[in-house]
Amino acid sequence: MSILVELGLYFSLLSLLSVGGMPSVIPEMHRYVVEQRGWISHNDFIEMFALGQAAPGPNVLISSLIGWKIAGVPGAVVTLAAMCGPAAVLSYWVSGIWDRLQGTPWRAVAQRAMAPMVVGLILSGGFVLATPGGSPDWRIWLIAAASAWAMVATKLNPLWMLAGGAALGAIAL
Amino acid sequence: MPVTPPRSLTELFLGFLSIGARSFGGVMPWAHRVIVEERRWMSPEEFTATIGLCQFLPGPNVGNASVVLGRKWFGLKGSIVAFLGFFGLPFVWVLVLAALWTEVATNPLARSIVTGVAAAGAGLFIGTAIKLGKPLARKPAALVVIAGCFIAVGVGRASMLIVIPVALLISYLLARRGLL
Repeated sequence: MSILVELGLYFSLLSLLSVGGMPSVIPEMHRYVVEQRGWISHNDFIEMFALGQAAPGPNVLISSLIGWKIAGVPGAVVTLAAMCGPAAVLSYWVSGIWDRLQGTPWRAVAQRAMAPMVVGLILSGGFVLATPGGSPDWRIWLIAAASAWAMVATKLNPLWMLAGGAALGAIAL
Repeated sequence: MPVTPPRSLTELFLGFLSIGARSFGGVMPWAHRVIVEERRWMSPEEFTATIGLCQFLPGPNVGNASVVLGRKWFGLKGSIVAFLGFFGLPFVWVLVLAALWTEVATNPLARSIVTGVAAAGAGLFIGTAIKLGKPLARKPAALVVIAGCFIAVGVGRASMLIVIPVALLISYLLARRGLL
């Protein structure tokens, strides 16, 4: 099977699983492209993630960078289209019926049920990204902890945290 | 304050283009700024309701919002135009950045900087999880689900294809009993 077809199919699946957005599927994406398929290394994955975070635009572009690393520009186009397409079609369809569910108990229950799972998945994303190759590096953990603290305790634009990470990385890593 | 939906597809396209073009460090604040404050396409309450729906759905929030709002104002054509406007510039920029990166990728300092940025990015995920998790912290059942997902996916590296259906089923049953 051509790698582009496989990328397209796999990222379409991720698209439908990405409740809570891109952060929820980072651990799964890493598991598949790094650990299971071995298309790119953990370091490549981390680099693409960092570039995607630092660039303007939605963080879903991280998937197009991963696609680019695996299969060049066609890979970038295929992964972005696959990551957005199925979810976009679902949004288009659901937005028609969502208003009718307003105020129904089912909608409230579904929203409450989703919240803790999304939190657990996003936490997993942070953990996987901060644990290179499964071995803890306390310097990376300190940078991550400082950035998490700044996000919770201040209203700073997250770009400042990324800039701080860049500066600490240049000094300590 | 009166709100006026976009009058033409061009206006819709340019609005979403300016969201995508300026969204350094997070898209949502810029979406709010453009849609609610600058162009006054909708009220803050409507905006919050739309984003609520998009957070509930899988996929990138503002990407979904472009589809939902485009449909609301111009039907399928609007969805496509808003989506392309939103993704167009960031997609090109990110590829340019990636191409530039390959030029410097072997430089050790550049690698250290990028590793530091990724560590800070990982911290932003953890910070987001803490913020979203705060309102849930009083419910023991919610903490069990959070810990279960984290152990399965983060530490155990289990596939989300298994974890998500199982977690959703358990959470749904807990929520129906009023535990979440």
